[in-house]
Amino acid sequence: MTRERMTEQELDATLADLGERLAYPRPTRLADAVSARLREPRAGRWWDAVRSPRYAFAPLVATLAVFALVIVLAVPGARAAASDFLHAWGIDIFRVPAIATPAVSPSPRSGLGALTTLADARARAGFPVRVPSDPRLGTPDEVYREGPDAGARQRISLVYGQRAGIPISHEPGVSVLVVEFRGTVDENLTGGKGVGPDTRIESLSVNGGRGLWLEGAPHLFFYRDPSGIIQTETLRLAGNTLIWEQDGVTFRLEAQVSREDALRIAASFR
Amino acid sequence: MGGVKGLRTDSVEGRPTEDAALVERSKNGDQDAYGELVTRYQAIAARTAYVITGTAADAEDVAQDAFVKAYYALDRFRSGAPFRPWLLRIVANEAINRRKAAGRRPTVGLSVVEDRASGDTALSPEASALAQERREVVLDALRKMREEDRLVIAYRYFFDLSEVEMAEALGVARGTVKSRLSRAIARLRAAMEGDQLHDA
Repeated sequence: MTRERMTEQELDATLADLGERLAYPRPTRLADAVSARLREPRAGRWWDAVRSPRYAFAPLVATLAVFALVIVLAVPGARAAASDFLHAWGIDIFRVPAIATPAVSPSPRSGLGALTTLADARARAGFPVRVPSDPRLGTPDEVYREGPDAGARQRISLVYGQRAGIPISHEPGVSVLVVEFRGTVDENLTGGKGVGPDTRIESLSVNGGRGLWLEGAPHLFFYRDPSGIIQTETLRLAGNTLIWEQDGVTFRLEAQVSREDALRIAASFR
Repeated sequence: MGGVKGLRTDSVEGRPTEDAALVERSKNGDQDAYGELVTRYQAIAARTAYVITGTAADAEDVAQDAFVKAYYALDRFRSGAPFRPWLLRIVANEAINRRKAAGRRPTVGLSVVEDRASGDTALSPEASALAQERREVVLDALRKMREEDRLVIAYRYFFDLSEVEMAEALGVARGTVKSRLSRAIARLRAAMEGDQLHDA
């Protein structure tokens, strides 16, 4: 360490010198990335995207989206009831992240239910709540529970803030979201129906059970509940998503990580 | 005032006339024109973000988000005003917000590219070692400073912004740029000396 106090000139020179040596990022194709984002529908609530005349859906998917929305609106609680069979019936892309004014951006927490503790969630979920033991995640920062007390249709969400090695999502302060509910994955209806051009969907085996890997832009997905009603579910983060079934419980992991990383995290659920 | 000599008081860097034309076209929805502005200012935007976030990946994300936000904010941009400091203000806000929202540790992970072929080759080995030692002391102090102070120092010493641009980029009156800068330098010195006391 330099013991003597630097003169003004020495400090100026050192700062100027340092300024030239910092390990700055060197973006070269930022214009392409920005332009791609500007071509997407303006960020907002996803139902704005559904309404947006600028957004050209495949007509089939558009019809289903509106249909499913109407049903969800008309049958309160249907979403919670829909968990017994999870069908990734069709996928399309909606831009969700908050690039508009933050005041109107959807919170990843909105609609997750009531803030609670892990112990409470475990006591009331009605199914064994599993938590990833992957050291990169540690314990969840927030736990939410949705659904009537002591009912069989509970949905538990785990929210993870900033974690080393996992990029932050477009939702400030959230890097990983885990959602768990009783239900099973059915891959019969996943055959790429309505998959948007920027989303890849893949059937795979996770922890010995059936699973789906959704990669690409943020999306809504549709599934059919036990009564055959089409339901929609918004993926909250602008990340990749792994959905799998384990012991009658459906798990959803959203994070901007690779498929291998997601599988590694999934394998650490205890 | 100590440490603020050499602050440029001439007008604005960049190519304001061309910028103004590109901004007008962008306001009318010409995304190619906006792409040109992005290309023009991506380097300084990413560098500014890096000074605050301390990681290159975050800085690139911040720069990208800031350009998207700036595009949608163009209708609030005063025609004829300089684009670069206006953009930097958005970048800096975005970077500071992100860092705070993520609840990062107060010490930032700024790093330097070492062994860079540089003017040091003209120095004796002793002088070169001394220069490096000084850089380390200063960098270490910078890592511990508030984002806002680091930003002022970076604008002046790293990016050589003029006083007018700094005022615009910091969102302060021109007359307060010098006092901001000298306060930041005083805190930098305090952080450096705190370290040395600690080490001694």
